[in-house]
Amino acid sequence: MGILQKFKQMFSTVPMLGWFLGILTAVLIEYFWGYDYISYYLGLPKIPVLFGALIMLKEPVMIPGALAYDLIVYVIPVLAVAKLSCIVTNPGAALLEKLPLWLSAVIHLVCFYAILHLWAGINDYRVLVVKLTLVSIILTVSVNVINGYQGEFSCSHPGFMALGAYVSSILTLVLFTNDKIFGTALLPPALGPYLFPLVLVVGGAAAAIGSLAVAIPSFRTRGDYLAIISLAFMFIVKSAVENLNIIGGARGMGGQPDLAPLPIIFIWTMLCIWVIHNFVTSILGKALNTVRDDEAAAESMTVKTRKTKMTAFMFGAFWAGIAGGLFAHVLTYINPGMFSINRLAEILAMVYFGGLNSIVGSIVGAVSINVLGEALRPLELFKWIIIPLILIFVMIFRPYGLISFTEINAKKLLEAKHKRQQGVSP
Amino acid sequence: MKKIAVLTMMAFCMAMMFSSLAFSARKTIIKIGINAPLTGDIPKVGEGTKYAAQMWLEDIEKAGGLEVGGKKYEVELVIEDNESKAESAVKANTKMITQDDVLAIVGPQSSKQAVPAGEVANKYKTVMISPWSTNPNTTLDRPYVFRGCFLDPFQGPVVANFITDEFGFTKAAVLYDVASDYPKGLAEVFKQAWEEKHGPGSVVAYESFTTKDTDFSSQLTKIVKSGAQVLFTPQYYNEVPLIVSQAKNLGWTGPIVGSDSWGSAETIELCGEACYGLFFSSHYAAAGAKGATKEFIDRYEATYGYIPDDVAALTWDALRLAQQAIQDAGELTGRIEKDREAVRKALAQIKDFDGITGQMTFTEEGDPIKCAVIVRINHQGEYEFYGSSCP
Repeated sequence: MGILQKFKQMFSTVPMLGWFLGILTAVLIEYFWGYDYISYYLGLPKIPVLFGALIMLKEPVMIPGALAYDLIVYVIPVLAVAKLSCIVTNPGAALLEKLPLWLSAVIHLVCFYAILHLWAGINDYRVLVVKLTLVSIILTVSVNVINGYQGEFSCSHPGFMALGAYVSSILTLVLFTNDKIFGTALLPPALGPYLFPLVLVVGGAAAAIGSLAVAIPSFRTRGDYLAIISLAFMFIVKSAVENLNIIGGARGMGGQPDLAPLPIIFIWTMLCIWVIHNFVTSILGKALNTVRDDEAAAESMTVKTRKTKMTAFMFGAFWAGIAGGLFAHVLTYINPGMFSINRLAEILAMVYFGGLNSIVGSIVGAVSINVLGEALRPLELFKWIIIPLILIFVMIFRPYGLISFTEINAKKLLEAKHKRQQGVSP
Repeated sequence: MKKIAVLTMMAFCMAMMFSSLAFSARKTIIKIGINAPLTGDIPKVGEGTKYAAQMWLEDIEKAGGLEVGGKKYEVELVIEDNESKAESAVKANTKMITQDDVLAIVGPQSSKQAVPAGEVANKYKTVMISPWSTNPNTTLDRPYVFRGCFLDPFQGPVVANFITDEFGFTKAAVLYDVASDYPKGLAEVFKQAWEEKHGPGSVVAYESFTTKDTDFSSQLTKIVKSGAQVLFTPQYYNEVPLIVSQAKNLGWTGPIVGSDSWGSAETIELCGEACYGLFFSSHYAAAGAKGATKEFIDRYEATYGYIPDDVAALTWDALRLAQQAIQDAGELTGRIEKDREAVRKALAQIKDFDGITGQMTFTEEGDPIKCAVIVRINHQGEYEFYGSSCP
């Protein structure tokens, strides 16, 4: 415990910018020397893709090599550079602090993306994992609006996702591709990337309109009814798509153009986090929280509970639709079976694992479930024992999830960390 | 500060010391990827795939490696679980191609995973052979994707012809899962073929249910009342026993005919005597097999304790095809892109390949031209050869 405290204290002077610099160094080391030198001398067949987790579980002989690789490439450079560069990065962070917060946040995000791009670019498998993780983040944050901030238990998210995925896929297939079912492209395919945001928004809007089918009948009642109605909605969407032969039915729909590269998904994810953060911290978001805690009291305090609930529900559904659209264009294939009870379990696991009422929690939940799912892949069947066990333990020791009821404080996150040295207590 | 530095250094040194493989040179290893549903809805299929692959590897290891262009190479299998999910199959394929540098991929088995995974294989120009996927879209416009089995548009008419020739029936009923890709496709093809033969309206009952339904009594009552003489149900091993026993309880006396999805060893285990005497179309028949097929079946049974189903046999053939293609490729340069290209070229040119599920020659699309087998479940519960039909 003592070492951990010391460790924490030692690195408390490192600002976000310093960490970025450290990670950048690590990624650059991997990029230039990872394959030819470091992994070669350690006897690894290639650069370990997910910090060596896969290779360690598959071939235990490789464990020392993979650990050494992680130490050389990641741990040591990140810590050393982050600590040593404090002298430069703290004034840098202080300089950025003088800028408006949004500009400083954008600069940080651009830096972050550049590092992520470089790291993922080393291997296409990483790109795919990062892409699907980002989509999961959008999904989890949007569920959190309904299941966390609104305090309802909605099960229809896979249905909204399916609506978004199918509507946007149909649009891109009709507009930008020569498809067997929908005929030749109506617009030149070159326009695809420019109109893709619009297509996604239409998909999201379709999901939002679909959510009314759940919201109107169920919000007159309370509690468990929403869970049941929303579950029914999910199955209705799935069955409807299965029986619509024009969009492929159970065979699914493929051939979507690849319009969702990493930067596009990253921008959408950040947009989603920013918009939802503003939503839940706005007056409407506060009203939503009062509805969650005590609907009758909120009503008597002039909160329009019905309108608030509807808006939040449609808002959550909209982002689920966006996530669905991105998902469809990452895989370039969808079938109704993807948006079923399995997906629901995955989404709920992510949101309850990460933490209710917290965007940070949702991000943590989405990233950890996705990365765990990939990292434990070599264990096959045991993966499905380990992940649920972790979930059970989280539920026992932290019933609201790992990080619940906390908000992002961008200012505090990005500020320079030298104040303590000057004796100013925080 | 000092403590941490010392600790890190110690961890580092330990790691280096135990790293027995340190400073060993990289060598060219032939890697074959296996993309199989080891967990999820159909784990038995994944198991058959894995076992067949391990048997194949055993053979190669016994021979001391795979000889290509006069040089022996070590062979390694990369077995990935696709959880019976499309996105997981895509991830597994991407991982095997970009991270593990596989030369060829065998799998995924179901079309639901094979269609999107084929897209990935084609994008990265890596040969993929799906042993069991019958959806035309798997190989359509994908020069790098092949398959090891016949397609639904071939199987449907084979079954329709068999029933007509064998029993002389004119009225058929169909019961299928509307939510699953394969049964739905095959049911449609069968209906079309049957009506072409016996005129419109000759499929007197065309009933559907949804995946994971376990009670079929309302559909079966309709089928019994419709006056159909034969029931065709292209379902998987988990549903067939339920359908057969429920049909018998409701007074169905005619024959029930199935498709290659019946071929799992589980079907007879779950169904028991109720299934004796029924027919289905398949890729091979285990009972009464001869030559290499019998050898494979005996070995598999001796090692794993049960008779291999068609998935295992098709996987075996797919692996042998991949092996043949790699050997035909001439020599391996060690540059993976070039080698993959050479393997594809060699695979497309294979003529009259002698597999344990029949002779195969690939069409332009990467689909094999091969015969279908009609199998009868005999009174010992074995899958017996009854007849075959070739294109």
